[in-house]
Amino acid sequence: MFHLLKIDLKKLTGYRTFWVVCGLYFVTLAFTTASGMEFLKWLAGKGAEFGQDLNINRIPLYHFPDVWQNLVYISGFFKVVLAIMVVISVTNEFTYRTARQNIIDGLSRRQFLFSKILTNGLLSLMSVAMVFFIGLVTGFIYTPEIAVSDIFTDLEFFPAYLLEVFAFLSYALMLGVLVQRSGLTIILLLLSHMIEAIVKVNIPESAGFLKDFFPMQAISNLVALPFARYAFQEIQDFVAISAVVIALGWAFLFNYFSYLKLTRADI
Amino acid sequence: METVLHTDKLTKTFGRLCAVNRLDLEVNRGQVFGMLGPNGSGKTTTLGMLMGVINPTAGNFTWFGKPATHHTRKKIGAVLEHPIFYPYLSGQKNLELNALIKGADPAHIAKVLDLVELRQRKDDKYKTYSLGMKQRLAIASALVGDPVILILDEPTNGLDPMGIAEIREIIKRIAADGKTIILASHLLDEVQKVCTHFAILRKGSLVHTGPVEEVGKGEEVVEVMAYHDDLSHCLHEFRGALSVKSENGKFLVRLREGFHSVDLNKFLFEKGIVATHIVTQKKSLEKQFLEILQEAASHRQPT
Repeated sequence: MFHLLKIDLKKLTGYRTFWVVCGLYFVTLAFTTASGMEFLKWLAGKGAEFGQDLNINRIPLYHFPDVWQNLVYISGFFKVVLAIMVVISVTNEFTYRTARQNIIDGLSRRQFLFSKILTNGLLSLMSVAMVFFIGLVTGFIYTPEIAVSDIFTDLEFFPAYLLEVFAFLSYALMLGVLVQRSGLTIILLLLSHMIEAIVKVNIPESAGFLKDFFPMQAISNLVALPFARYAFQEIQDFVAISAVVIALGWAFLFNYFSYLKLTRADI
Repeated sequence: METVLHTDKLTKTFGRLCAVNRLDLEVNRGQVFGMLGPNGSGKTTTLGMLMGVINPTAGNFTWFGKPATHHTRKKIGAVLEHPIFYPYLSGQKNLELNALIKGADPAHIAKVLDLVELRQRKDDKYKTYSLGMKQRLAIASALVGDPVILILDEPTNGLDPMGIAEIREIIKRIAADGKTIILASHLLDEVQKVCTHFAILRKGSLVHTGPVEEVGKGEEVVEVMAYHDDLSHCLHEFRGALSVKSENGKFLVRLREGFHSVDLNKFLFEKGIVATHIVTQKKSLEKQFLEILQEAASHRQPT
């Protein structure tokens, strides 16, 4: 297994685009998630101009355990950057025809796909580690009274986030394998949410429950929007089992479709 | 002799096009096997099937007497069509990747780089290489892991005469090591110079297979030049002459079976003519190739 991961990483670590995109991803992810208080200050300043008084100290954005869901939710928006990197990595294999050469050299088609899936897993894990680290640091900085039990509350959002990123990267990998052209694949990837929304709008009211089964919706359902709680609204502050099951199902299907395509086509 | 490759009615169709048609081939250990055929005759498609990147429509094949798996492919070094590498990686890194996939010892890389004379440029990115260097790196990558069989598909395509000579030298050196080589080419000269056996493909079908030595057997053609006003007439009088043609100031005499240049020389001498030039022409593979192709085409015509 590590052997396959090593093969794919060898391809990527010599590729400057990979470093640039991943660098941008982790830097923007870190800065955005860490600068929530600055954003609140800016918001308060704007509010003051309009005579609105916003007491930012009453918004526990970075307090344990709120910080976990808040950061995980925001981080979810950035996964598309990683997904684009995955698309570039896999479509390169087809445009340079290196996938073909890899197989000629003695990789099986399944191993080729597996090496890509392993990289997806690694990137997802790194994202989780990054967000956890920032959450931990900011939590310790901003939480007025730290209770150990609070730190360990709501950690279930991390496995959910891992699944969210991994499922989306699996989707990107599948698109890349099916379309094989980087430009077209990236456009499709970016439009996925919109295309799905158009389909969902046309679903009759009576079949509304189906909406949760759509792939993009299923991935978003893993972590619900937390910020409404600061406007005294009820939020879903847990990970729903049904959402996990559906997202797991999609992650499996995405990779399975890639597998079908790769094993049956002439490369 | 040990059979390395055996194909049994191997077939590939792309829609209505039949790229490879019920192909039966056999390659034995130690042979340098040339696959000849015009462009589009199914050479690369055949090799693609043998290397697991194209799924056969029908038929099957065995490597070393066993059905192929990806483990078999690790023992085969192959480059199909043109060199394929990661353009943003250096030659060295590309070969390291090949070694990783094949499970080969990375220490071997320096040796193959030396063999193809690319050591100087090994740390430059692949995309900066000239075509000849790319072809040579491809041969190096095929040699990583010390394969039992080497498959080369048009290895001299697009090279200048010097590059062609270099690649040919490398192939001969490798063949001298006792490796089995399968060489696909449309350059007949190339096949004749380096191969021991050959097969001819035409529109996906096998039209001929056999050793290269056998080429040139059969009737002899002798070139003759002499200071004589009526040489043509004299030559026609020779019993063994099938036909006499004049070409570039020489006469080409096709001999009947059983007659050789010696007989012709003797005949001329008895007539009091001393030849200034008398050479037995080797029948080239090119001629045989064209003959075989023509024959195959004429067989097909009635159907």
